[in-house]
Amino acid sequence: MSVIFTLIPGMTFLGLVFFGIMIWAVKKGQYEDMEGNANRILQDDDDDMMP
Amino acid sequence: MAGCFHCGLPVPAGYNYHGHHDGAERSFCCFGCQSVCSAIYEAGLQSYYQRTPEGLLLAPPPEPPKDIEIYDIDEIQQEFITSSGDLHDIHLLVEGIHCAACVWLIERGLKREPGVLFANVNLAARRVHLRWDNSKNKLSNLIRALSKIGYSAVPYDPENAEGVIKKANRSMLFRLFFAGFTMMNLIWISIALYSGADKGEFRDFFHWMGFALATPTLLYAGYPFYRGAFGGLRAWRLTMDLPIAIGLSVTYAYSTYITLMPNVVGEVYFDTVTNLTFVILIGRYLEGMFRHQALSATKRLMELQPRVATVLQDGKEQIIPIRGIKLGDLVLIKPGYKVPVDGIVLEGHSSVDESMISGESVPVSKTVGAKVTSGTVNTNGALLVEVSTTLQNTTLAKIIRLVEEAQSSKAPIQRLADTIVPWFVLVTLLCATITFFVWDSKSFEIALMAATSVLIITCPCALGMATPMSIAVASGLGAKYGILVKNGLVLETLSKVNHFVFDKTGTLTEGKMSVARMRISSILSETDILRIAAAVERYSEHATAKAIIAEANKNNLNYLDVPVGEFHATAGLGVQAIVNGENVFLGSAEWLIRNGIMLNDELQIQVHELESQAMSCVYCAIGGRHVAVFALADKLRSDARQLVNELRDAGIGMTLLSGDRKVVAEAIAGQLGGMEVIAEVLPQDKDRVIQRLQQDGKIVAMVGDGINDAPALIRADVGIALGSGTDVSVESADIVLMHNGLDKVRLATLLSRRTLRTIKQNIGLSFLYNAIMVPMAMMAKVNPLVAAITMPISSLIVIGNAARIRNLFKNEKS
Repeated sequence: MSVIFTLIPGMTFLGLVFFGIMIWAVKKGQYEDMEGNANRILQDDDDDMMP
Repeated sequence: MAGCFHCGLPVPAGYNYHGHHDGAERSFCCFGCQSVCSAIYEAGLQSYYQRTPEGLLLAPPPEPPKDIEIYDIDEIQQEFITSSGDLHDIHLLVEGIHCAACVWLIERGLKREPGVLFANVNLAARRVHLRWDNSKNKLSNLIRALSKIGYSAVPYDPENAEGVIKKANRSMLFRLFFAGFTMMNLIWISIALYSGADKGEFRDFFHWMGFALATPTLLYAGYPFYRGAFGGLRAWRLTMDLPIAIGLSVTYAYSTYITLMPNVVGEVYFDTVTNLTFVILIGRYLEGMFRHQALSATKRLMELQPRVATVLQDGKEQIIPIRGIKLGDLVLIKPGYKVPVDGIVLEGHSSVDESMISGESVPVSKTVGAKVTSGTVNTNGALLVEVSTTLQNTTLAKIIRLVEEAQSSKAPIQRLADTIVPWFVLVTLLCATITFFVWDSKSFEIALMAATSVLIITCPCALGMATPMSIAVASGLGAKYGILVKNGLVLETLSKVNHFVFDKTGTLTEGKMSVARMRISSILSETDILRIAAAVERYSEHATAKAIIAEANKNNLNYLDVPVGEFHATAGLGVQAIVNGENVFLGSAEWLIRNGIMLNDELQIQVHELESQAMSCVYCAIGGRHVAVFALADKLRSDARQLVNELRDAGIGMTLLSGDRKVVAEAIAGQLGGMEVIAEVLPQDKDRVIQRLQQDGKIVAMVGDGINDAPALIRADVGIALGSGTDVSVESADIVLMHNGLDKVRLATLLSRRTLRTIKQNIGLSFLYNAIMVPMAMMAKVNPLVAAITMPISSLIVIGNAARIRNLFKNEKS
C-alpha cells in the first residue's frame, strides 16, 4: 500500500500541470472563437492553384 | 420564384437586378447584392458560393459605413490601434458575418490588398484582427475593400470596451477552477479518512496531503473573501464575506493544528475548507456573469458624437477633428451626415432626424436661422452652420453629463439578504464565542470543536445563495421569454414598484408614421390615388413618403410599373412629378396653394377634424385638382392598451412623458383610457420628473427607448428599455425587452414577484436549518459527519427551491 505515498502526490502534481495548461490556453485566447477555427481547418488554401 | 443569387432571399416581382456570372444569368434582390457579387467574381473569390452552406439564407449586405476617411487621420486612429513603426494593429467590428464561408472570403479578400500582413476573423465575436503597413495602404481603403464584398466594418477598441470586466470574470473563473480541482482531490482523501485511515499508518500522510491542497486553495481561491471581509471592516460594515473568512480561517487553523500535533486526537476539515470555497465561488461567478455589462452607456453616447467636421476656411472645405472646432466656425453638413456640433443654420434647408435626442420620429425641417443639435442626422439637403457652442456644452454633452450624474447619485440597491446579513453574522460570531467559553471550562479540545462547528454549521452557504440562485434562475427564465435582466437585483425592486412612467414615441406607440385615414373627393378610386401617390413618393426619402409607400404595400398595390417623370422635391413643402401626363403634387396645404391649386372645401372640414385627433395631413392633387388627404398618425402598439389596463387594475400609478406636443400626447393618453400626461419635456426634465416622483415616496419604473430617456432610465428605480430602442437606452436600462413586446412588462413584473417570494422562502429555509442545527452544535452534539452531510443538503434545498421559478411561465408562450 505504500505505493500511495508516491502515487497521490504524483497524480496531484499531474493535475496541477493540466490546470496550468488550461490557464495558458484560456489566456492565449484559444476559447475565444470556437466556430471559426473549427471551420477554417476544413478550408483548402491551394484551391486557386488547382486546375 | 428563384431566390437572390447572393443572399438567397426571394426576389420581389418587378425587380430588375441581373448579372452574368459563371455563364448563366443570375438575378438579385437588390443593388447591394448585385454589386457585391460582381466584386466577388472580379476578385476571383467566387468559390465563396460553393463554401456557403446549402440553403442558408444570408441577409443582404449591410450599408457601407459612412465617412471612413476620418479613420486615416492619425489622431483618430490612435484610439484604436497598437503600432510599431508603420505596422498597425487594429480590431474591426464587422457586420454581415454569418458563416464559415465569410471567414474565408474576408481573410482572402483582405490578404489580396496591398500592405496587409495579417487578417484573422473571429467568427463568434464577429470581429477581424488586422495588421497592415500604413505606408503602403490606408485603413479607409481596407474598410472600403470589405464593404465591396459585402461587410460593413468599424474600428473598435477591445481593451476599452470590455477589458476590465472580462479580466475580473476570468480571474474569478481561474479561482473557481482551482478550488474545484483541489476539492475533488480532497474528497478522495476524506473518504479514505472517514473509512478508517485516520487511525492507521497513513493518517499523517493524508493529513499533510490535505494541508498541501487546502493551503493554496485558501490563499488563492479564497482571496476574494478575505479582501471583501477586510474591505467591509474598514468601512465599519459586517459583510457576508466576514463569517465566510472567519469560518474558513478557523476551520483551516484547527485542521492545521491537528496535522502539526500528531499526538492530539481529532479530525481534519481541509475538505470543508475547499468545499466551501468552491461552492461560494460558483455563486459569485454566476452573479458576476449576470451583472456583466459589456459597454457603459456613456461610452455609447460618446460614439454618437461625430469625430470630424467639414469646416469652411477661406472658402475651402477642410476636414478637421472635432476638438479643433472654435466658436463661430462655419461647418458644412452634407446630407446623410451627423451634425457635429450645436449651431445655427446660415444657408440651405433640409430636414434633420432628431429622434435620438427628442424621441420624435418625424424629421424636423430646418431653414436659415434654425438651431441644429449635435448627434442628429441631416437627411436630405446640405446645411451651412455657424458653431454656437463648443464641444463640452452641446446638447449631447449635457445628456452625457446627466447620465453620469444619475449613475453616481443613484443609491445602490439593497438586497433583502444584505439587510439581514450583518445581524446574522453578529449572532453567529456571538454564538461561537459563547460556545467556546462555556465549553472551555470542561475541555479546550471540545470547546474548539464546538465553536468551529457552530461557525461551519451556520455556514452562510444557504443564506448566501438564497438571492443569487433565485436571481440566476429568474434571469435565465426571463431571457428565454425575451426579458433580458441586466442587473438581477432589480428583480427584487420591480415587485415593489407602484408607479410606471412611459415614454410615448416608440414605447407606447410604434414610433413610425403610418397612414391612419384617407379621405378622397374625386372620380378616381382610393386605390388609384394611393397607387399614384406611392409611385411618386418612392423617390422621396421623407418619413411621410415611407408611410404612404407602406400603406400601398399593405394593400398589395403594384406602383412600380407606374411611369413617373420630372420628380422634384422642395424641402419642408412637398414633392411634385408627372404621372400619365398629369401633374401630381403631394405635400402641405401651402404647397398646393403655391402651385395654384384650389383646396377642396369638403376635404378641408375633414382635415380639421383629423388634426384635432392629433394626426398630421398630407394633401394630394392630381391634374390640378385637390383629390385626397392622407392622415398620418403614430400607431399605438397593439399590446399597449392591455398592459395599461392591467396596471391600472393592479392600482399602479402611471405617467405619460413625451417630448411631443401636448395635443398629441393627450390624444394617446385618451386612447389608453387616461393617465397623467407631461408633454413637451426635455431630457433633463424627464430626469427631474422621476426625481420628483421618488421624493413623493414612490418607487418608479421607467419604460423608454430613446437617448433622451437614458438619464430617466438610470434615475428610475427600475429602468426598462425596449430592444428596438437606441443602444444608449439599452445600455442605461436594467431590464431590456426583446422582440419589442410591451406585454413583456407584465411578465417581468410577475417574474419579479415570484423571485422575491422565492428569495424570502429561501431565507426562511436557511434560517430554519440554522435554528435546528446551531443549538445542537452549541451543545457539541454535532459530529463532523453530520455537519458534512447537512451542510450540502441545506444548500441543495435552496437551489431546488430556486429552480421552481422555472415553472412560472408554463402557460405563457415564449
